[in-house]
Amino acid sequence: MDRAANAQLMDQLQTGVVLLDDRGCLLSWNAWMTRHSGIAPEDVAGRPIEDVFVEMKHSRLLNCIQQALRFRLSSVLTPGLNPSVLPLYQKPGDRELDQRMQQLVYVTPTCSDPYACLIQIQDMTATVRRERRLRAQSSQLIATTYRDSLTGVGNRRRFDQDLSERFREARSRQIHIALLMIDVDDFKAFNDRFGHQKGDEALIMVASALQEGLRQEGDCISRYGGEEFALTLLGADQEAASTVAERLRLRVEGLRLLHPTSRTARHVTVSIGISAVVPSMELPPQTLVSQADLALYSAKDRGRNRCMCFDHTVTEVRACV
Amino acid sequence: MAFDESGHDEPTLDELQLDALGELFNLGVGRAANSLSLIVKDEVELSAPSISFAYPSQITQALLDSEFKELSMVAMDFSGPFEARAVLLFPERNALAILSHMLDPNMPPEELSEFEQEAMCEIGNIILNACMSALADEFGVEFMGSLPEHHFSDTESLPLFGGDQKEVLLILQIHLSIRQERINGHLLFLLSVSSLHALLTCVDSYLTRLGIR
Repeated sequence: MDRAANAQLMDQLQTGVVLLDDRGCLLSWNAWMTRHSGIAPEDVAGRPIEDVFVEMKHSRLLNCIQQALRFRLSSVLTPGLNPSVLPLYQKPGDRELDQRMQQLVYVTPTCSDPYACLIQIQDMTATVRRERRLRAQSSQLIATTYRDSLTGVGNRRRFDQDLSERFREARSRQIHIALLMIDVDDFKAFNDRFGHQKGDEALIMVASALQEGLRQEGDCISRYGGEEFALTLLGADQEAASTVAERLRLRVEGLRLLHPTSRTARHVTVSIGISAVVPSMELPPQTLVSQADLALYSAKDRGRNRCMCFDHTVTEVRACV
Repeated sequence: MAFDESGHDEPTLDELQLDALGELFNLGVGRAANSLSLIVKDEVELSAPSISFAYPSQITQALLDSEFKELSMVAMDFSGPFEARAVLLFPERNALAILSHMLDPNMPPEELSEFEQEAMCEIGNIILNACMSALADEFGVEFMGSLPEHHFSDTESLPLFGGDQKEVLLILQIHLSIRQERINGHLLFLLSVSSLHALLTCVDSYLTRLGIR
């Protein structure tokens, strides 16, 4: 096939094709490139590619071209890691809006003199957009899967995942992780007195009071089951966790939700059990749950509406504050 | 080098050869770390602390025995004074950890989508090209490198490693540190026996040029 036929074929490709000589100077590019860069090849032929696209200096793309020319190594530049490498635009109007095409770029060495390096560019804009949309939808679905449908806080699945991830992180970074088990006092009596509908409303209010009482973004109250909630705190030792627990306890008390059948107070209150550790390799996450549970039972035994800690130095429970 | 083509003896290199290879690969991964740091705009450290040899069947067995069943692999073919298929291999969980640092820290830790496979390809491409260009530089030779391909594999099917007893795997352990997280993987070079000999010839003349041998 002669050169003219080759060039005609190249111009029909729905892909950008750029050809460089062995010094990295531009030999030609196809009609796709002219269309999307707004530059005719004859205006820039013979110039180093980084002079044509000045922003390429010190870029990974230039690095890849040098690798192709010097070592004959091939490279790929993906839109995920190199957003919009070259100033290419899908439509002329996008240039004014500075909305560049998302590009997937292949750089390969060639050995058909005078061509030494071939750059191929694919338009990934639609793919990247679809990917983003799918990801947003999937995040939304995941969020639904991990939310407790009644109270809107995390559900048991969310708690299990939070605990295992954060426990692993605490172990690898050798920092504290604390677990708070929170239980509404005499909740059965509340349901018996007011009915399940009012009971659900009370749970919703308690859950939001707890969630709103958290400062750190990413900390998430989860409904462990029934009227029990749980919270993991990464980087919190016993003292820090106790402070959070006490704040949460006071918040619920501050709701002033009438609870005439409670053995503790005239209002809805919670008891909280706390355990905090720097996890060793041998310690399973479940141990933290049993210790916090133990502390919670002890808070109940001592009259409810209080926080108790599991003390690791003597492996027993004691009052927090 | 003691190497029994028919049997299962470990191919062995003398200490000088091993040291030289280890140093050259560390030079390579060091360059790759620079490129990756530029992408993440944060410090990335890469090191290749150990180097060893094995047969493809042994590696298949080792992977079968390991706790990681899902692997993410990036493969490239190189030809020059010796021919090698280079494979960067991470347990899929580790690959996801790298990608979440590179792409989006809030990425759901589910599985590698096509988008992430592409990015993984590029990361492998950067590391493998850096290693090969370091070798090319120091040996004064030239390689032709193919475009990278991403593969998933459970350890039950490891088609990339052939399984030909006449081939040898050079195995580098890879440590990647990013934002206080350390992620481990392996870099494997599948070489025919004659390619291994050619590689060692390159190493020897490199050592001679440095006046060490």
